[in-house]
Amino acid sequence: MKRITTPITDEMVNSLNVGDMVYVSGYIFCGRDAVLPKIVRDMEEGKLADKGIDLTGGVVFHTAVSPAGTGPTSSNKLEIEASIEPLSKGGIKMHLGKGQLKPETIAALDKYNSLYAVIPPVTALLESKVSSREVMAYPEEGMEAFHRLYVTDFPCVIAAVRGKSIYDKEA
Amino acid sequence: MDQRIIDLVCDTLVRAGSTFRPDQKEAYRRAMKTEKNELANWCLATTLENAEVAEKNRSPLCDDTGIPHLFVEIGPNRQLTGDMMAAIQEGVRQGLRTLPGRPMAIKGDDMQRLDQSGGLDEDSGALAAAPMIIKNVDEDVLRVTVLMTGGGPAIRGITERVFHKHNAKVVADEIVARAKDRVSLLGCSPCTLAVGIGRSQYEATALMIEAMAKGNYDKQTEMEKYITDEVNKVCTCGPLGLGGDTAVLATFMKVGPQRASGVRIVALRPCCCFEPRCASVEL
Ligand code: SF4
Repeated sequence: MKRITTPITDEMVNSLNVGDMVYVSGYIFCGRDAVLPKIVRDMEEGKLADKGIDLTGGVVFHTAVSPAGTGPTSSNKLEIEASIEPLSKGGIKMHLGKGQLKPETIAALDKYNSLYAVIPPVTALLESKVSSREVMAYPEEGMEAFHRLYVTDFPCVIAAVRGKSIYDKEA
Repeated sequence: MDQRIIDLVCDTLVRAGSTFRPDQKEAYRRAMKTEKNELANWCLATTLENAEVAEKNRSPLCDDTGIPHLFVEIGPNRQLTGDMMAAIQEGVRQGLRTLPGRPMAIKGDDMQRLDQSGGLDEDSGALAAAPMIIKNVDEDVLRVTVLMTGGGPAIRGITERVFHKHNAKVVADEIVARAKDRVSLLGCSPCTLAVGIGRSQYEATALMIEAMAKGNYDKQTEMEKYITDEVNKVCTCGPLGLGGDTAVLATFMKVGPQRASGVRIVALRPCCCFEPRCASVEL
């Protein structure tokens, strides 16, 4: 297992390959279909700094944050997959979720030297690795608000980087 | 209301949402011995580790804690009154609050519940259980099985007729054909296929729930084994879609009475890596 800590740099992305098993530690953002389009809009309107959000080198975990814990939702849901390109452009270096992405999304990740990793839906294990959680924006969305967690050794597999995907047979 | 029933059902729901049964753990260990793909093996090991942590902490296996379904078996000399059924429902409510279940009950009238405009109820216990299935059995028991069914398998499940052509293999092969794409799309694999075969959509689905409640990874019929093996031959998605040989761990099938006709109704649910999340208690 490789280990990386946020913020993720371009050098870290360059050192990772499709199929690498990685432990991720540090602050990570959480959001899914309800809130990610709003975060993209805020970013485009330059409003994220007011909310204390800096996407540079960040991770977005596609999950709700409920009393039951966290766990990946499908990253290929329309609103989630559509957020991957703009958020990569805005500085996000890792999108963490599950499921196969479209070739256009894999290409967009490559364009901004960002990557996609999949994480098993292992809520109990993940809960044991979360040491803080806070709502960063849109608290009215409840468990679907934009959250930030501090995590230690979240286990994941690199599923797409530099234009290659684990779902390509030749990858 | 009978506090003893409430407490027993509450505890059973927490067990259903947080515990792998011994035969389920063993099925994972067996799969890890035969799976050669390194990523697939890692995924199986991580899923099993998650089950151990969840059991120890009595915390949810997955953040989609599922919709409670109740399968009740009642023997010849036992009674189930309306008051006992209300106590069972109260046990479900308290179990959801204790687990805790993900608050995902939608508020509002029919239209608001459909388009989700009525908002979410913040109370985990507000999530109503599906209608109870009650079955007469020869054993002299009153047994409640709580199943917690996740959204992923519900999205990919299908209930549809099969023209059997007077050959059981035709039915098995159609189940394999239907399972193939659905298992690949599930994402949260390895999968356990739950199958009910009956005379109507209602009966087939009730039989499928019974298959989930009573299925055992150590006891597979010829037809269950055939379906598992055939789906694994054609599905190369492996756990979490990362590749490998272990797309399906087992098949749990229940065949009910059939009618004199060329048609069988088959309910198929590709249960996810934590399902069937179920636990039983005798009242
Ligand atoms: S399909 Fe199963 S493992 Fe996946 S999110 Fe739903 S309940 Fe959890």
